[in-house]
Amino acid sequence: MSEPTVAARFEIPYRACLSPEGRLLGENSPAIADPSLLQRMYRMMVRARIFDAKAVNLQRTGKLGTYPSCLGQEATHVGVGAAMRAEDVLFTVYREIGTKFWRGVDMYRVLLYWGGDERGTLYEHAAQDFPFCVPIGSQMPQAAGAAMAMKIRREPRCVLAFIGDGGTSQGAFYEAINFAGARALPLVCVIVNNRWAISVPVERQTAAQTLAQKAVAAGIAAVQVDGNDALIVHQVTAEALERARRGEGPSVIEALTYRLADHTTSDDATRYRSAEEVQAAWAVEPLVRLRSFLEQRGLWDAQAEQALKRECAEEVEAAVRQYLSTPRQSTDAMFDYLLAELPPALQSQRDEARRYAALRG
Amino acid sequence: MTVFKLPDLGEGLSEAEIVRWHIQPGDHIAVDAPMLSVETAKAVVEVPSPVSGTVVALHAQPGDRIEIGAPLVEFRPDVEANEAGTHAAGAAAADHTGNADAGTVVGQMPADAAEAAAAAALEAANAVIATAPRVRAVPAARALARSLGVSLTSVQGSGRGGLITLDDVMALGLPDRRASSTLHPGPAARPVRPPANEPADVEVLRSLRRAMAQSMAISRDSVMDCSVFDDADLAHWKPGNNYTTRVLRAIAAGARAEPGLNAWYDAESQSRTLFEHVHVGIAVDTADGLLVPVIRHVEQLDDAALRSELDRLKRAARERTVRSEELRHFTFMLSNFGMMAGRYATPVVVPPAVAILGTGRAREDVIAVDGKVAIHPRMPLSLTFDHRVVTGGEAVRFLGALIADLERAE
Amino acid sequence: MAKMTMVEAINMAHAWEMAHDQNVVVLGEDVGINGGVFRATVGLQQRFGSERVQDTPLAEGLIAGTAIGLAAQGIKPVAEIQFMGFIYPALDQIASHMARLRNRTRGRLTCPLVLRMPHGGGIHAPEHHSESLEALLCHHPGLRVVCPSSPARAYGLLLAAIRDPDPVIFLEPVRLYRFMRQEVADDGQALPIDSCFVLREGSDLSIVTWGAMTVETLKAAEQLAAEGISCEVIDVASLSPIDFDTILDSVVKTGRLLIVHEAARTCAVGAEIAATVSEHALYDLLAPIRRVTGYDTIMPLYRLEYDYIPSLARIVDGIRATLAE
Repeated sequence: MSEPTVAARFEIPYRACLSPEGRLLGENSPAIADPSLLQRMYRMMVRARIFDAKAVNLQRTGKLGTYPSCLGQEATHVGVGAAMRAEDVLFTVYREIGTKFWRGVDMYRVLLYWGGDERGTLYEHAAQDFPFCVPIGSQMPQAAGAAMAMKIRREPRCVLAFIGDGGTSQGAFYEAINFAGARALPLVCVIVNNRWAISVPVERQTAAQTLAQKAVAAGIAAVQVDGNDALIVHQVTAEALERARRGEGPSVIEALTYRLADHTTSDDATRYRSAEEVQAAWAVEPLVRLRSFLEQRGLWDAQAEQALKRECAEEVEAAVRQYLSTPRQSTDAMFDYLLAELPPALQSQRDEARRYAALRG
Repeated sequence: MTVFKLPDLGEGLSEAEIVRWHIQPGDHIAVDAPMLSVETAKAVVEVPSPVSGTVVALHAQPGDRIEIGAPLVEFRPDVEANEAGTHAAGAAAADHTGNADAGTVVGQMPADAAEAAAAAALEAANAVIATAPRVRAVPAARALARSLGVSLTSVQGSGRGGLITLDDVMALGLPDRRASSTLHPGPAARPVRPPANEPADVEVLRSLRRAMAQSMAISRDSVMDCSVFDDADLAHWKPGNNYTTRVLRAIAAGARAEPGLNAWYDAESQSRTLFEHVHVGIAVDTADGLLVPVIRHVEQLDDAALRSELDRLKRAARERTVRSEELRHFTFMLSNFGMMAGRYATPVVVPPAVAILGTGRAREDVIAVDGKVAIHPRMPLSLTFDHRVVTGGEAVRFLGALIADLERAE
Repeated sequence: MAKMTMVEAINMAHAWEMAHDQNVVVLGEDVGINGGVFRATVGLQQRFGSERVQDTPLAEGLIAGTAIGLAAQGIKPVAEIQFMGFIYPALDQIASHMARLRNRTRGRLTCPLVLRMPHGGGIHAPEHHSESLEALLCHHPGLRVVCPSSPARAYGLLLAAIRDPDPVIFLEPVRLYRFMRQEVADDGQALPIDSCFVLREGSDLSIVTWGAMTVETLKAAEQLAAEGISCEVIDVASLSPIDFDTILDSVVKTGRLLIVHEAARTCAVGAEIAATVSEHALYDLLAPIRRVTGYDTIMPLYRLEYDYIPSLARIVDGIRATLAE
């Protein structure tokens, strides 16, 4: 009997640029030579973290609805934002505050959305970006569709779609990357592997060694990166976007990071994971290493840190004030955006809603 | 003083247990600093301070279970500068905990209250369940009976199992099926319906009253009527002036001054039609019911022509030789009820027209004229208009012009 | 007897049946160590093991489809969809297979299973977490759709659902999960699954409702009782198939019908009830049938959710209007 012939062979590269201590690991990230970009990425990560803490506190004091914290995942979110061009289109899940911020969505809008007000999806500066996507995985085929539109129009633009580790279990994830591969669509999918889909750890989600290798079945480029390293996230995402822009097809990037917080403010992660695990994750969290790197290069110091924190706190306070003083929408808002024009059949329902809203005062 | 109430820390939670306080009365605490740990049905969570200030009182001890919305901590906030924010926060908090929502029920009803209320009511209800027999009727028969003010309990149902049919109601000598189908006109009031058939037979007599019933019901269901009253001083009238022709001409004068009352209104399309011509429907009382023949182009006719047309139509009406086309399309209506008795009334607007004038019985009144008591003949006027489409201002401008015309010496 | 919330009663029903029927397994997202996001399955994995209480990957189509396969093999799955707004990926499995397996195979293969899911709004949850989509399911012949409105009914109906030979969709009103406590006997007694529950007897008007709307409806009935208006309140409970006998008896008795539900109005279960009552009791009606429902809009984010969910005032007005005819 002869040895079986190998039909195909695959490997998934793992890439990292900065160690948890902030030392370079050999990757030649373009950000290394761009102090301004490095500082902007760090500032945005701090901004996201300070906002995030305040949002949790607002929920805890009854001023915000359920909120999903992004704590610990700032490097992935910000690195992706920094790699995108303004004209690209972003599809997020619901945690990627740092990417939204990078693309010009302000804190006020994010608060409004989690405060139960649809006006939180009115993005002034990212007019084609989709709003947060709560039904897990459902954003992926839409992202493929948007990428297809760019290809049809021969535009040098790309779609960047986030998905979580749990999301890769949804059929829609595979359907989308499979189609994107078959048509060489300009789509880059970033899997934010934060290890936990609420209470289910990734090894209970799949037997696959990596989530990136799911892309192998779709025939598209796949890589795993250290998702707590903003530099490598930025570098690898930028490379993938450039390939997509050149018509060389889609990619999947798996960013390994960790959900340091509960799934949402309605969750209690201590029920299902150990303090030791969380402790270990804190040791490799993303802000410290980038700050160390900046400090080693003389690009950051305690004074800059203090000023940044003050500035962010002020910005957050202003956004919170604006949010808390925003009156709720009138009941007409339920009807105004159903269709381009409200059909006559619905006008009586709108009138009824108005009447009872007036009674409620 | 700020009282912080326990918010809903999860989704639809009703209570929480105090695990540990990180503060005590007298402490100063900064906004967002850890304040206490609570355990809900879903999680142990840290609750931060909502304000910067001094802790005045804690309203629960570790181990206590407290309801969502119950007071938890009292603070004396640091700065008045905080106030705007605190106010807004208060409003938002109310919004989020649902305390401001009359409809919110999460965690607010005592255990079992709904069931207990239901059980109590159930017992009470058992005693009083209605035993009165109810008539079964075809819905259209029910509607017809109601519009005619007939009680169905007095009707013998001819349908299966005593079901009252439309025919059973009509057998009371009331309108036929075709008529009943107009009992629920659409929002657009229908044009005045003349007797459908040839006049001068027995059927016409019934139709007159039927038409009145219909048009009055339509008016009641659609018109927003408003009446205004005044008197015209006839002191300057010359002998030989005819009441009705003077009133008709005055109506034309009113319509010139304010066309909005010489108009039709279509509620469905929310449109009104203003007319240059003035076609006045005149309510004529006959033994068989009300008939409304129309004098056309009142604005063009002189006294003599008006009088002869008036006489002809009244005669035709009473002899029931009036043609159906002579009963259609009036743009304004006149009820000269004062021929018999009555000073003022609230005449009924018949859509699609938007106004009707009633003239009461003229008589001599003692009035003040230039500071002196005088006796003048006066005609009482009652103008009803459809306030859906005619404004009060338009109505009284119309009435003013009409009176001015009536009071002219000629 | 212990006083408990609806979510505790649901948990107790799971535990009873798992203890008495080795074939019962629980599956869904976060149902294991976490005990479900609403804690409906809390403690079950510790007690019955991780084979009988399975955390699934994050995929609703998978959950529904797996349940069908398990059921056809003689396991009795009690599966959870985390929120009703996430049911759509599972609809293919539900509509194309779950509802039809018995019919397609002329009874050779069946799927006795329960698919539980939180239903409706009112707890200030995020987007897609507050939907009332029962009509989507009731439109599929071959399914049973059940919606309890109290802890005791949740316990009894869930047991009935698990023991039923056919697939049962079990809708749990989130607003009622922790709304009240009630004594519930842990006696394994199922309630009839094809029956309405008359929550309050009355003679002037029948009000038909289900789920969380029973709360405002009972309040409205109580409020108007003070004015001498006697409302009969019926909890439909089994939304498909519906116990029309109870509803029709009530309508024939009172002559008036008001339907109250949280779901949007058009093509909802209320429309089906109105149509069937018209077919069978039109001549007994003293007034047109009325509906007080959610509007035909997207379920708004939570700041406006109580403008969407029928309020006490709307129900009271609906009662008065029906009586005024």
